[in-house]
Order: sequence, then C-alpha cells, then structure tokens
Amino acid sequence: MMALRAVHAAAVLAIAASWASAQTTEEAASRAYRDDVHAAAGLRCAACHQESRSTYAIARTAVAPLCAKCHSDAAYMKAFDPQVRVDPYAQYLTSTHGRQMAKGETRVATCSDCHGAHGVRKVADSRSPVAPVSVALTCERCHADPARMGAFGKEATPFKDWSESVHAAALLERGDLSAPTCSTCHGSHGAAPPGVTEVANVCAHCHVREAELFRASPKKAIFEQIGQAECLACHGSHRIEQPADAWAGLTEPAVCAACHDSTTRGADTIVRIRNGLDRLAAAIAGGEAVLARAERAGMLVDDGRAASREAREHQIHARVLVHAFALQPFQDMTDQGMRAARQSQAAGERALHDLQVRRRGLLAATILIVGFLVTLWFKIRRLGPRGDQL
Amino acid sequence: MSAITGTAPASGEPERRTFLNWLLGSWATGVAASIFYPILRYLIPPDIPEAATRSVDAGKASTLLPNSGRVVAFGSAPAIVVRTATGDYRAFSAVCTHLQCTVQYRPDLQHIWCACHNGHYDLSGRNIAGPPPRPLEQYDVNLRDDEIVVSKRA
Amino acid sequence: MRVARVQAWLGERVPIAPLIEALRHKRVPQHRYSVWYYFGGITLFLFVVQVVTGGLLLLYYRPSAGEAYESVQFLMTRVQFGWLVRSIHAWSANLMVASAFGHLFSVLFLHGYRRPREVTWVSGAFLLFLVLAFGFTGYLLPWNQLSFFATSVGTDMAGTIPWIGHFIVRFLRGGDTVTGATLTRLFGVHVAILPAIATALVCLHLFLVQQHGMSVPPSIEEESRRSERPVATVPFFPDFALRDLFAWTVALAVLAALAAFYPWELGLKADPFAAAPAGIRPEWYFLWEFQTLKYVPASAFGINGELLVVGALGIGAALLLALPFLVPDRPSTRRALAWIAAAALAYMILLTALALRGSGGPIP
Repeated sequence: MMALRAVHAAAVLAIAASWASAQTTEEAASRAYRDDVHAAAGLRCAACHQESRSTYAIARTAVAPLCAKCHSDAAYMKAFDPQVRVDPYAQYLTSTHGRQMAKGETRVATCSDCHGAHGVRKVADSRSPVAPVSVALTCERCHADPARMGAFGKEATPFKDWSESVHAAALLERGDLSAPTCSTCHGSHGAAPPGVTEVANVCAHCHVREAELFRASPKKAIFEQIGQAECLACHGSHRIEQPADAWAGLTEPAVCAACHDSTTRGADTIVRIRNGLDRLAAAIAGGEAVLARAERAGMLVDDGRAASREAREHQIHARVLVHAFALQPFQDMTDQGMRAARQSQAAGERALHDLQVRRRGLLAATILIVGFLVTLWFKIRRLGPRGDQL
Repeated sequence: MSAITGTAPASGEPERRTFLNWLLGSWATGVAASIFYPILRYLIPPDIPEAATRSVDAGKASTLLPNSGRVVAFGSAPAIVVRTATGDYRAFSAVCTHLQCTVQYRPDLQHIWCACHNGHYDLSGRNIAGPPPRPLEQYDVNLRDDEIVVSKRA
Repeated sequence: MRVARVQAWLGERVPIAPLIEALRHKRVPQHRYSVWYYFGGITLFLFVVQVVTGGLLLLYYRPSAGEAYESVQFLMTRVQFGWLVRSIHAWSANLMVASAFGHLFSVLFLHGYRRPREVTWVSGAFLLFLVLAFGFTGYLLPWNQLSFFATSVGTDMAGTIPWIGHFIVRFLRGGDTVTGATLTRLFGVHVAILPAIATALVCLHLFLVQQHGMSVPPSIEEESRRSERPVATVPFFPDFALRDLFAWTVALAVLAALAAFYPWELGLKADPFAAAPAGIRPEWYFLWEFQTLKYVPASAFGINGELLVVGALGIGAALLLALPFLVPDRPSTRRALAWIAAAALAYMILLTALALRGSGGPIP
C-alpha cells in the first residue's frame, strides 16, 4: 500500500525536478517538453515564449492569463478536444489562489505549479501530478510548509490530517479513485475553503443518506442557529476518522458530550441509541464468535455467515440512521439487525450441536469396534499357537 | 461371520467357544450397522436437490411489477432481479462493489442504488455515480412459465 | 439337508471349493518380523475403502470448474454424512500412501523381493506409483485454491524434461495452463483409468502372493537352517485371517476418529486469476521432493537444477522397479541394499520434516 504512495510521490518528484530544471536550462525544458500534451498537439516553444525577449522566463502573474489565451477559447479548444472545459481560468479567478495572484501576491499557486510547465500531461494520465492519487501530494508541496502557510496566517496541517483520514486510506491504500482528495471538496481551479453552510453540501455528494436524515432532523435548525458547521461538528474536517459507536453517548469519547449531558434534553434518546448500537455490535460479535468456533471445528456454516452479513448490513444502516437524531427509524433497524444476529448465532450453535452429535455417533461406533476387537483378540488367543511345524 | 469363525469345534469347552462366536457375531453386526447406517443416510437425496451453483429460482414473475426490483439469495450472496419500466427482466449481483452493501432498485430514479454511500448503477449494472469502483456482475434471466430463473454467466 | 443341496448346486456352477481347500492348507510363517506382513493387507483394506467411498462421492460430485467446488460444498453441508464420506476418502487416501510406503520398506528390509517374487515386487512398485498418481489427481478435484496452485506447480515440473517436457505438461493439463479442462481430465484419470489399472494390478499382485506364499526373511531362514528346525507357521485360515481382520478393524477405527475429529477442510474456491496464496504446498508425501527442489541450485553442471531433480527422481523410480533384477542374492549386497534403503528413508523423513517446519523458503 505504501508502495502505491511511493510510486506517485516519485512521479511528483520527477515533475518537480522538471520545474527546477526548466528554470535552469533550455535543454532540460525542451527534453521535458517532448512528452508534453501540448507538443503532441503540435505546439512549439514560441506558442508561449517570445523569441525576441532576452530571457524566456515568464512572470508568475502572467502564467494564468497566458494559459487562458487558449484554454478559455471554446472555439479554439474544440479543435483538440470537444469535451474539454474552458472555464478553468474563470474558476481560477474566483479561487483564493487567483484572487491573491490578482493582487500581485506571487507566492500563491498558478497553473504551472500544479500541472507542470514543460511536461504537462492529461489529468487521466496517472503520471500527472494532478491525477487523483497524486493531487494531495501536489497540494502538500505548499500547504504542508509551515513557513509558507504561516505568512498567510494559515495552518500547515491539512495534508497530514487528511492523510490520516478514512478518505486517504480509501484512496491510497484501497486504490479507490472515487475517494475524496483535496480537490474533491475544495474544487481544483476554483480552490477555496467551503463555508460553514456549504460544507454539508460537499459531504452530501457521497454521504447522501446521512445528509437527508440530518436535514430532516431538528438538529439542522439548532446548528444553523448556533453557527455550527453541520457535519464538521462531530466528524471534523480533514482528519475524518472511522466513526465508532462510542461517539454516541454522554461521556468521553462521545461527540454528543460536547454539548449534552444527562441533564439536557434528548439525553434519554442518546443513551438509548448508544445502547442499541452496543447491543447490536455485541450480538454480531457473539454470533461471529460462535460461527468462527464452528468453522475452526471444520463445520461449514454458510447460512450463519449469510445471516451475519445481513446483521452487519442492518448495523451499517442503523449507524446511518443515527443522523436522524431520533429513536424511531433507528430502533426498527437495530431490531432487525438483532434478529439477524441471533439467527447467525443460532446457526453457529446448531453447527456446534451437530458436531457433538457426530462425536457421540463416533463414540457409539468406537464402542462397537472396540468390543469387536476385544472379542476378536480373545478368539485369536484361543486359537493359540497351532501346528508350529510346516 | 460364520464363514470365518465356523471351524469345526475342537476338543474341550465347546460351549464357551459357541458363546465367543455368538458374541463376535453380535459385535460384527454392530460394526457393520455403524458402517452401513451412514452410507444409507448418505444415499437418501437431500431436501435441496442441488447446490445453487449456476442458477437460482427468483420467485414468481407475476408478482414482480414493472419498474420494481427484488433481492433474492443466490448461494450465500444476494442477487437483484429488476423488471424495468418497459417490462424487461434484468439480474445482477446485489453486492455493491464499493463496500459490499446490498443494492436496491429505486423506482423513482429507475435505476439501481446503494443506500450506504449513494452509489448508482444503471440498468446494465454500470456504476454511473458515487463511489462504486466497478459495475455489478450481470446474470442471465430466463422465465420458466411464471418462475424467474437467474443464472450466472459461464 | 437343504443347505447341503444348495451348496452342491452352487459348487457345481461356481467351483470355488478347490480355492477354499487351498486356502485351508495355506500357512503363514510365524517369526519375529511377522508383524510387517500386515501392511500389505491394510493397504488392500484402505484401497477397498477408497473404492467404496469414491463411488459414493461420485453420486454428488460434478467434474467442471464451475460446479466442482460448489458440489463438494453441497455434499459436505447438505448431504447427510457427506462430510464423513469425504473425510474418510481423504484420510484413507493419506493412510493408504503411508501404509503402501510401510509395505514397500518392510519388503525391502526383509528382502521379500528375491526370486521367485520379482514380478510381485514390480507389480507392487507400480501400485505404489499408482497410489501416488491417485493422490495427485484426486487433490485437484475439490477445485480449491490450494489444490489449484499445487497442481499448477506439480505439473509444471514435468516441463523441465528436455524435448518432450512441454508436450507432457500440455498432456497432463489438457492445455497450456490448469483450467476446467485439467479438472475434467484428472477426474477421468482418477475415477476410471487409474482404478481400472490398479484393480488389474492388485489382482495380479494378490494372485502372485497367494501362489508364492509369504517370503521368509533370509536371517530367519539362516537361523532355521542352523538350528535344524523348520520355520514356525500358522494356518492362514482362520489364524492369520482373523489377525488381518483385527488390523483392518483398527484401521477403520483410526479412520473414523480422524474423520470425526479432523474433518477434511474445503478451503476457498480456486480463482485462476488470484495471486498464489501463501503457504501453498503439495500433499505431505510429495513434500520431500519439493524440499529437494528448494535446495538444488537453479543450475548445476550446466544443467537446469529442476531437471536434475526430475531426472534423479525418474532414475530412482526406474531403479526401484528393476531392483530385484539388479541385486544379486548375496548377504553382502543385501546388507548394502538395506543401508541404502535406510539412507533413502532417512532422507525422505528428514526433508519432509524440514518442509513441514517451513525452512528453505517458499516452493519454487
């Protein structure tokens, strides 16, 4: 898993090296350019660099407008790719990067910082520094640098936080390219932090059921009133961890405990939800322990495994239903889950019982065999040594 | 057993010998029974005549209305049978390719949907939106009179 | 008497009286090594168990890649006593290999291969190879992950034979790789071709044993000559037959206990596209050969190391078959042979133990 990460880190480093060399030698720039998507489209150096200038260097403030000359021209771009978007520059101007750059702040990112200068590849190309698995490592180059971010009064922790999140694990370890990285929530060209009220829309993109339930719950109005960011209040932002059943409850480490204690309204509901989650988890674990014991003893318990899987699915749904912040739909789901979990336990116990029956059967057969052997032994002894000589 | 033990009684103690032979014969009958009992039980056809390896009965077609779906057990994993709004039958593995939840048919969207993380699949099983990384495995559907039969593709 | 009339009627049409008469007079030598005589009988008993349980398994088994695993799973979960029948078949196979090896080495150490029993020895050696072939072909039939890769590796070895290696691999697998075609092919070999050959050879082997009687070890012969007393014997019927029955019943009890306490596992279904699982290894009786492969360098004396091992095994098998014709019947050569056999046995046990301990890294 770390290997995947290393591969993409290497890809980004290669691009970084090409940036560095692009600033030093013309030769390195033209070498990198051979593999550039623009070269493939037939563009030459002069398309960007003016021959007449004493230096080929392009000012950082001039980079985005230069790219936009073509990339905002729908008629022109259509000749190369009819599907390509022509709004990146417009988006860039709305982004924090673009707005700062417009003010003359050249330390913020522009096109070439993320896409590269002389080795630009399509985003779908896994070697691109903005390919889904690499994009976070590209953002990290600036956003994890405390000196750089400190100058803008910003934290340098988002990358580290994100890389410890379930999202990073899904993307980098499971290779699930649909898992969110920086640009999924912040946008790419229009990168900016989502506001307090918008953040739930961003999360709801994938976590639609949770968002639906939350919006229908009384919690939404309360959170709006107190200016609390919806999802973030419990789940945090960059470092989204695997939620645990213990997050519901009135004592540490429950997230509810931040506002609720046993005296506040809803305390009873919170406790009962937590109990429901705990009972279901215990029932599933109990059932699976019995199934595992039966399997270790060599029994096949497919029925039990199917019931256990069903119970787990009800558990997933029950955990989602916590976002309704009410007892009712939740309790029905945990009840169904408990039924399935009990079925799985019963299947496991049936298998273990069968095993006992088998062993009793074996015992009966063994008694018969031993009885036969003992009698046979006597019979052989009684024959005695006979006719010693041939 | 008499073939083995039936030697002509020699001198002395014929009674004890007869008893020993009788005892040996009884034990041998018991041993033979404990061999043949499992074999006979084994030969009796089981309640379910064969393993659901390739196909499974997915219930009555008349009860599956157009624009609806039904999840059935296929071996130890679920399968989903969908009757489209136009009346076609389609069947897929009902295990979402994202985190193995069971998918369902959404009549309002007219396609297959996974509730866990809002994964969407079209009526060819292709993952069209949300986190699922791969399409659903498609099965064949056949009608045997009013019975829907779902079978895995070879 | 009615019984006598029936006997007479039967005796006229099925004349087995002379055979029974011969068995009545048959006598078995009785000496301190007599216990080794039982290994042949136990192997025969286990062979019969295999025929019976194998026939029962055929009632539910389906020999195709799509259905083999599921049908075995069905047999073990849904069919009453299916788990018992399959476990006994699997355990009996392993015990049969062990008792066949026991039989081989006991005959070797007691020098039972000497004139006039050369053909008995050759048929027995062939039967041992057949038993191993039964094990190899039967291993794949449940179509699980372990057996799939073990068969892949096992058949691959034949590919090192010069010129015809590729053809042999294709011949064994029914194609270039292990597929459903291999399964169907090995199934046919396992349930039809091998049993037919084995039954014929067993009949020949038993016939020869009956004709020649049990071999008396040279040391016992020598003692009897010196003391001028003939070797003690017991009647085959009923004395020896009852003892045989005793041994068989013990084998049956052991089988039942193993099957009930250690049911044979099924594992995961074979997936030709999955990576080979960690810890794949063949059945224990092939372990020493695979362990040897691990220790032989990739190339020695300019020859492929694997080919060297395959070649050595081939030569070993040929020597084993031709053994009675190669060893002159003299005390000195007999002693030398006993030492060689002991060394071979020690080597096999040592390498099997090393393989079980997992030394030498994974199977190449």
